[in-house]
Amino acid sequence: MMSGGPAVRVSIESTCERQVQEVSLDGMETYVPPLSMSQNLAKLAQRIDFDQSSDSDEEGPERENREPWSKPELEEDEGTVKFQPSLWPWDSVRNNLRSSLTEMCVLHDVLSVLKEKKYMALDPVSQDPAMTKTPQVFQLISKKKSLATAAQLLLKGAEKLTKSLAENQEQRRQRDFNSELLRLRSQWKLRKVGDKILGDLSYRSAGSLFPHHGTFEVIKNTDIDLDKKIPDDYCPLDVQIPSDLEGSAYIKVSIQKQSPDIGDLGTVNLFRRQPKAKPGSQMWHLKLEAAQNVLLCKEIFAQLSREAVQIKSQIPHIVVKNQIISQPFPGLQLSISLCHSTGEKKNQRASPDKSKPDDHLYVLEHNLHQLIREFHKQTLSSVVMPHPASAPFGHKRLRLAGPMAYDKAEISSLQQSEGLLEKIIKQAKHIFLRSRTARTIDSLASRVEDPQIQAHWSNINDVYESSVKVLITSQGYEQICKSIQLQLNIGVEQIRVVHRDGRVITLSHQEQELQDFLLSQMSQHQVHAVQQLAKVMGWHVLSFSNHVGLGPIESIGNASAITVASSNGEYAISVRNGPESGCKVLVQFPRSQAKELPRSDVVQDGKWIHLRGPYKEVHWGRMEGRNFVYKMELLMAALTPCP
Amino acid sequence: MEAPPVTVMPVTGGTINMMEYLLQGSVLDQSLESLLHRLRGLCDNMEPESFADHELVYLLKGQQGNPFMLRARRSLIHPKAPWHLRYLGQPEVGDKSRHALVRNCVDVAASHSLPEFLNEMGFRMDHEFVVKGQVFRKGVMKVVVSKLLRVLASGNTENTEPMSLSYLVELSVLAPAGQDTVSEDMRSFAEQLKPLVHLEKIDPKRLM
Repeated sequence: MMSGGPAVRVSIESTCERQVQEVSLDGMETYVPPLSMSQNLAKLAQRIDFDQSSDSDEEGPERENREPWSKPELEEDEGTVKFQPSLWPWDSVRNNLRSSLTEMCVLHDVLSVLKEKKYMALDPVSQDPAMTKTPQVFQLISKKKSLATAAQLLLKGAEKLTKSLAENQEQRRQRDFNSELLRLRSQWKLRKVGDKILGDLSYRSAGSLFPHHGTFEVIKNTDIDLDKKIPDDYCPLDVQIPSDLEGSAYIKVSIQKQSPDIGDLGTVNLFRRQPKAKPGSQMWHLKLEAAQNVLLCKEIFAQLSREAVQIKSQIPHIVVKNQIISQPFPGLQLSISLCHSTGEKKNQRASPDKSKPDDHLYVLEHNLHQLIREFHKQTLSSVVMPHPASAPFGHKRLRLAGPMAYDKAEISSLQQSEGLLEKIIKQAKHIFLRSRTARTIDSLASRVEDPQIQAHWSNINDVYESSVKVLITSQGYEQICKSIQLQLNIGVEQIRVVHRDGRVITLSHQEQELQDFLLSQMSQHQVHAVQQLAKVMGWHVLSFSNHVGLGPIESIGNASAITVASSNGEYAISVRNGPESGCKVLVQFPRSQAKELPRSDVVQDGKWIHLRGPYKEVHWGRMEGRNFVYKMELLMAALTPCP
Repeated sequence: MEAPPVTVMPVTGGTINMMEYLLQGSVLDQSLESLLHRLRGLCDNMEPESFADHELVYLLKGQQGNPFMLRARRSLIHPKAPWHLRYLGQPEVGDKSRHALVRNCVDVAASHSLPEFLNEMGFRMDHEFVVKGQVFRKGVMKVVVSKLLRVLASGNTENTEPMSLSYLVELSVLAPAGQDTVSEDMRSFAEQLKPLVHLEKIDPKRLM
């Protein structure tokens, strides 16, 4: 057919095999179901004109007989009728394509002719100016309409986005609450009761027997206004603690001079320290920790006051308001108080005596916490568990009391003898005694220069015992004169002194006793030093006494005395040293050097002038030398004759 | 000297009348682990305590009435520990709303000559069994998860066979008479064990 140009390839693809019968409201398309075999056959059969075919077959010859002239026409009709339905289905397509090809060829020819520019030229079509005016209004209207549609679409999209964003945030807040809850649960005990989440912040599962319930409630805090700025410390989870555990508390232990009047006792005042917030810890964590601390302090104070009332002691303890007052030593007052501030009011009524910040013995507060935790642990130890399992809970040893017929003494020895209060009082006593001993030694060391006192405190101490080694030496002669070395063991109420020579002396808590003792040791040291010096210098010790019975009585300790003689026997030195009376040094000269010798009838011989004669006192204060031993050395050196 | 008068009533002067509050339940062997984990979390923070005990039940048959029953129990793990003698009274028929079984309880620690002593007194051993399991505690409450084993040869605790494929769970509190708040605490604790084990009061009379 196409004889003009080259063959044009046309690819044809049917759009849809099946026709759409109906589109429902939700967009589902219902297709016309394809015809089945029988249906297809029926359709084809319908096309066949059975009258024609049967007539043509059977009555063909009759028809020919009847109307021989109409046969070709009939055949034509039949032909046209017959062939029309069996026309090729792509025929219309082919015709359309052919016509469009024709058009395209014409256009192509026109354009190629135009290119030559010889035979044809293009001319613009003149536009009617009247026509252009009105389209502007139309343009405006059309532009407005299109913009409005576009705007609506955008607005709809924006609305969808904001809605989804809000939903996301809401979900995130819910997730935040859940993740916070997970964090809370990893550190605190929680349980669900109904639709409330409750928690337990007491020490009961750790062994405490305090009857406080310690229940806190977890509250969701997710309904905040999204428009307002979210505060920095926003947390989707909040906890509600019991009202009596709010704020913070601590136990203050302090030792003071005894107040003159009992009526002066007021509520011990609080407060200084704020708990330091660790970075990254949540508000609920701080709140719960503070509440737990308050609960523990309450338990400690309840236990202490119960013991203060029940336990009989020589000097009864006083429990008033939030203080427990007891007297460890006469003139001294130990006060243990529970300081609890709810945090709302800043300045409460000031107590009449401003307590100094270092009045608070932090060590004892820490020890109280440790002791109560020890007590908790004891209720949980496996010693309490019954074997056999049907027996009641109780200490393993106490269960033997029945079968082994323990008496009261044995049973009481098994049971815990000391309560919390007694322990803490003992510790306070020890601390006080230790500090007073240190003060005594230091004051003595700064006051007395001649024999020096050195105190070496041991690093490792017990809560009830400390020890210090006191050395009394003379400066420059430490290696020679080291006979006075004292080991002081400071206990709860007494100080035990162990001397180097083996003596054990027990001093009471009075600081005057220790001072007197040290002074007497210092005076003894001088005399011991002379003894050691004599050995070094080659002098002989004629007599030595730690406690002389002659001379004036000392009010502190006893005086000691020594007499040494020079190596050739010519001179002798006598020293008497007492803590109060000081030292007295006398030198004995040989008779030959004496200025006035008493004439005697008995001693006639000349050889007696070689003996030692009268004594002369030395002006010790005018001797040269920085300390006693140095002076003594100089004196000895002066009296030793040159060889 | 004439024999001291024998009183029928038990001597109660000088001791506190202790009552045992009891709730019981059971779990199958395969659910034991989850129950133990749960108890470990709910109860006091201690290492789990295992036990193995040998219990002998003694009966004194009088001329009339019910025989008098005493339970003697010793620990197989700690042979030096004293024996434990226990008397359990009849369950109190109080108001039905009380959640736990309440009965009078007398606990006595005894030396190792207890079986001979009971025999001399006229008691005869009725039956014996071995109990093995774990003990937990929460405050005053005691939770015992135990397996009962039958003793095949009398006196021989090595040869035992389990009586059932389950473990007995008992929640008990020993308290002086008159404290009814105890049963409330027991009930709330039993609630927390709810899907794993159902603890309820089981009247021993109904089982016989």
